[in-house]
Amino acid sequence: MVELPARDHGASTGGAPTRAALAVLAPVRGTFKLLLPFAVLVGVWQIAATVSGYSSYLFPRPTDVAAAFWDLGRKGILPAYIADSMTVWLIGALSGAAVGIGLGFVLAFSRPLRALFLPAVRFFVAIAELAWLPLIILWFQFGFTAVLFMIWYTVLFPVLFNVLTGIEAVPNVTRQAVRTLGANRWQLVREVLFPGALPSVVTGFRIGAGYAFRALIIAEAFAAGSGVGFLIFESRETGLTERTMVGMIVFGLIWLVVDRLFLRPIEVATVERWGMTAARL
Amino acid sequence: MSPLTRSRGGRLTARALKWLRGARPVGLLTLALVVLAWWLLDRFADIPPFKLPSVGAVATSLRELASSGELFDAMAASLQRLALGFLIGSSLGVAVGLLLASSKHLMEFIRPLVVFFQVIAGIAWIPLAIVWFGLGSGPVIFVVANAVFFIVLFNMLAGIQSIPSVLLASTRTLGAGRLRVIREVVLPGALTHLLVGLELSMGLAWRALVAAELIVATDGLGFLTLQASARFDAATVVAGIIVIGATWLVMHRVLLVPLHARTVERWGMTRPIVD
Repeated sequence: MVELPARDHGASTGGAPTRAALAVLAPVRGTFKLLLPFAVLVGVWQIAATVSGYSSYLFPRPTDVAAAFWDLGRKGILPAYIADSMTVWLIGALSGAAVGIGLGFVLAFSRPLRALFLPAVRFFVAIAELAWLPLIILWFQFGFTAVLFMIWYTVLFPVLFNVLTGIEAVPNVTRQAVRTLGANRWQLVREVLFPGALPSVVTGFRIGAGYAFRALIIAEAFAAGSGVGFLIFESRETGLTERTMVGMIVFGLIWLVVDRLFLRPIEVATVERWGMTAARL
Repeated sequence: MSPLTRSRGGRLTARALKWLRGARPVGLLTLALVVLAWWLLDRFADIPPFKLPSVGAVATSLRELASSGELFDAMAASLQRLALGFLIGSSLGVAVGLLLASSKHLMEFIRPLVVFFQVIAGIAWIPLAIVWFGLGSGPVIFVVANAVFFIVLFNMLAGIQSIPSVLLASTRTLGAGRLRVIREVVLPGALTHLLVGLELSMGLAWRALVAAELIVATDGLGFLTLQASARFDAATVVAGIIVIGATWLVMHRVLLVPLHARTVERWGMTRPIVD
């Protein structure tokens, strides 16, 4: 079971030099602790794939995947695909969020209009966005526009939904107090409702952007001729499973970097700082 | 603006609100407006029917799909896969989570792996699932189970780590065995996180299901929609989209909302940590 917390009393008797050395080594230890599980996983995978004797089509070995990674990188295919995917995702996610926030801001002015819009928005959020893909392809044919529209849509509705629910969550007392103190409608929206909804909006964007990143894979598989999603699916058709795995790993790494380096810090800087972690879903 | 007019404006808004609430299913009014907008667009903008089917065509298509039984077959196929995948994924997730709970070192070791796999869970596995399971239900169930497993496991670990170690230590000191600690402390302690994980994974599982059905299935709602688009039958595509949205809304209402209200909210624990 979990150990007692005060396990390493001995550390305090180690003296200053040891402690300083430990402090310097802390990041190294952290990285080691982070990477060790992956090293072990890759080792086990290599042994299992070699011993099982399956072809690299069914069960590629890590060395196959590494070779494919090197090959795709050397030919410039992988960097180009990553750039393509990130471009579509960035444009789609930012414009989707902009439209969602803009529309939400307008709707902040009228409560009846919000009451009217919310069920529709809820419904659009409920439609698993990929269900639109067949229709989107009918609209835009195959290509960049179809993928972009898919991403745009996927981000727009969670953001809009969170603006609206965020506004509803602002306590009535606050609204009335501000109104009583003589604020007009514009001031109420600008100073109370919109800032009040902001943490929820940030969360909505993070969720929407996450869904959009997943939707990107399928949209690219269907409608694009490049991109990480295209790589993942195209390689299955050509029987190069190790390339599929390269795509999956790259996809995971990109999202981790984007999420931890950009989205999470934004959330921490807004939602958590204002002590509103309740809105994390 | 004088106070008088403002109050009148306020009264008007209040009356409008009351009226809106009186028309209890506001959703119906919204629906009527959406249909009206759609009808107007179709009537006055010159959009070919394979891009924007008319309201009537979609209604006919829905009726035909329902009366031929095609719709319910597809829905049954999809829901069956979802249920099976969800059951497999969540039970495995809980089991592995509890297993890991017995060792802090093991948990710290596994955590980075779970974080990574949670990120790529679901949709990205579809091509591999096809390689391993062929076409049909197999890969779809695998993808759903995969999505649920990693998200549930991730939340289980977060839940277990949120249990104050004092509780665990004191239970141990008072003579509880491993199993007893798991049953009486770990499981209840991690329950809120687990429930949130289940809820969250349902949303992702549903999306993974639709995506997988678009690509590998031979029946189900996603397949129905894609097949219609290959025939340029936009009416059936839109009908499929509507059914997919409505199915999720009903599931959400019937399953997830009551579950959330009866557990997480009732216990006053609406502070889930979802990563």
